[in-house]
Amino acid sequence: MKTTAVLSALLSVLSLASAASSDKKSSSTSTTLPATFRPPQVFKNANLVHVVSVEKNYVKENINVVIENIDKAAHDEYFVPFTADQLSRLGGVEVKDRKDAAAGPFVAEAAQFDQESDIQYLRIRLPQPLASGAQQTLGISYYLLKAYVPLPAAIKQEEQQFLSYSFSAYCPSAYTTTKQKTEVKFPSTNFPDYTKLPGSGAVQEFPTKQGSKLIYGPFDEKPAGAIQPVSVRFEFNKPVNHVSRLERDIEVSHWGGNVAFEERYALYHRGANLSSLFNRVKWQQSQYYSPTSFALKEMKFPLRVGSEDPYYYDVIGNISTSRFRSNKREALLEIKPRYPIFGGWKFPFTIGWNSDAKNFLRRAAGGGFVLNVPFLEGPRQPEGVEYEQVEVRVILPEGAENVKYQTSIPTTSITSADVEIHKTFLDTIGRTALIIKARNLVDDLRDRELIVSYDLPLMARLRKPLIVFGSSMALLVGALVMGKLEFKFDSRK
Amino acid sequence: MDSSLHEVWQAAAGAPFVPTIAKGSQFSVAFVLLVVGFLLSGAFTLNRSVANLPILAVPASLALGHTGRAGVVYMFCGVGVYV
Repeated sequence: MKTTAVLSALLSVLSLASAASSDKKSSSTSTTLPATFRPPQVFKNANLVHVVSVEKNYVKENINVVIENIDKAAHDEYFVPFTADQLSRLGGVEVKDRKDAAAGPFVAEAAQFDQESDIQYLRIRLPQPLASGAQQTLGISYYLLKAYVPLPAAIKQEEQQFLSYSFSAYCPSAYTTTKQKTEVKFPSTNFPDYTKLPGSGAVQEFPTKQGSKLIYGPFDEKPAGAIQPVSVRFEFNKPVNHVSRLERDIEVSHWGGNVAFEERYALYHRGANLSSLFNRVKWQQSQYYSPTSFALKEMKFPLRVGSEDPYYYDVIGNISTSRFRSNKREALLEIKPRYPIFGGWKFPFTIGWNSDAKNFLRRAAGGGFVLNVPFLEGPRQPEGVEYEQVEVRVILPEGAENVKYQTSIPTTSITSADVEIHKTFLDTIGRTALIIKARNLVDDLRDRELIVSYDLPLMARLRKPLIVFGSSMALLVGALVMGKLEFKFDSRK
Repeated sequence: MDSSLHEVWQAAAGAPFVPTIAKGSQFSVAFVLLVVGFLLSGAFTLNRSVANLPILAVPASLALGHTGRAGVVYMFCGVGVYV
């Protein structure tokens, strides 16, 4: 490190910095509707199954619905209502045709009509307008972050953690629903409290219990906008990992033949707080007789095969409690935080590693280069990890131009994509950086790919050595000229 | 967002990017080039003349910086700062 710093300090004198404007292109995923907007009642939900999965520390919801066009004309816009609060925590929306996988993911976007209104809509565009009387089966899946409230809010460090989640037993819909049921999947069979509803038909009381599932319904016809608030409380003796901000840098070096990764996490435990002070002795004892705890004590990062030189540090400095297992089949980075992380505790840390460029970078057929990296490579935890804000910076070589990208992350999750300039060692005009900001992602979307293509003209490739060559020539010629100058007074003859 | 990039990536399967100097030898190559560069610069500073410019100064600068013999650039890479 020291050699690097001294060298870079010496050589930064040689590098000339000049500003360059960046061409910006932002993309937005929301559209505006008039303030009085109500979705036209052109569809009916013939049958709807709402699956709410609280198995991980984020909620995954699936709405499988058979929609029917009850209007005379064909329509292609289907609306799903969310509260404004839910919409701010909503991520990874994907809509598919359950019966026709080839139809591909449909376009789903937030349609804002009134910032003040509590009900906002997600607009789904069907690839083909649905004809009058025709039916289509939609599979709508999404994640809700920051979904749970620990109940009780503070517990002892050896106690079990319970979380509660509130939702509607009737699936919120902008259309009349003929038949529906809501299934709740829990991480275990221990869910002591849940709202009970009067049954209908043969069932005396909702919900019915099936192993680690609760089923509300089937319900009979409900009008558009019908809501039945219920809440469930369940055991979740695992950490509730929440990454409020993840900055992921991917730096491509053509000279070094390397792709460097660095990830900066602002990790937060959203679970129950400690009701008394942390007791290190009790903690150490409990590691022997009951190792399961709601505290976070280890994270595992399965990196791509071929990753090398990992590092792991925080604001204090290097953290030595990590292990890196690397061979032909795997590259597993196992890290332990400095301290077990309980509810309400934070742990900001940084990890990074290198990899050979050949694993991620190829020469495109028509000139130029194409890079394929995972968009997200966080820890793989059995309890899951949620990411509120994600900023991925792909730092390309200096002078790279014509940058294009494609990612398999759901488009609703991407808030902006800009091309900017990033300046670092031995740069003159700065490197081209593609900055993609996304929000509300979860570890299920891990390893979704990000493909970036760019051109690098010959002069841009040679810029660094030419700059060093020019600087040293200037220095030597300068020395020559300085040596030839006469500074002494001419002696009078 | 460009949806055709996946095909571009697949089409380029046979052309992974390989650097001119492999990672393992960057430090030694850079070290030799820098030593040569500094020695030539030293020789030039001891005997500064216009005649020595092409004989000593240009090769010195080439060894320090220029293409294919990029001493400084490879020394950056050699010590782990992949520029």
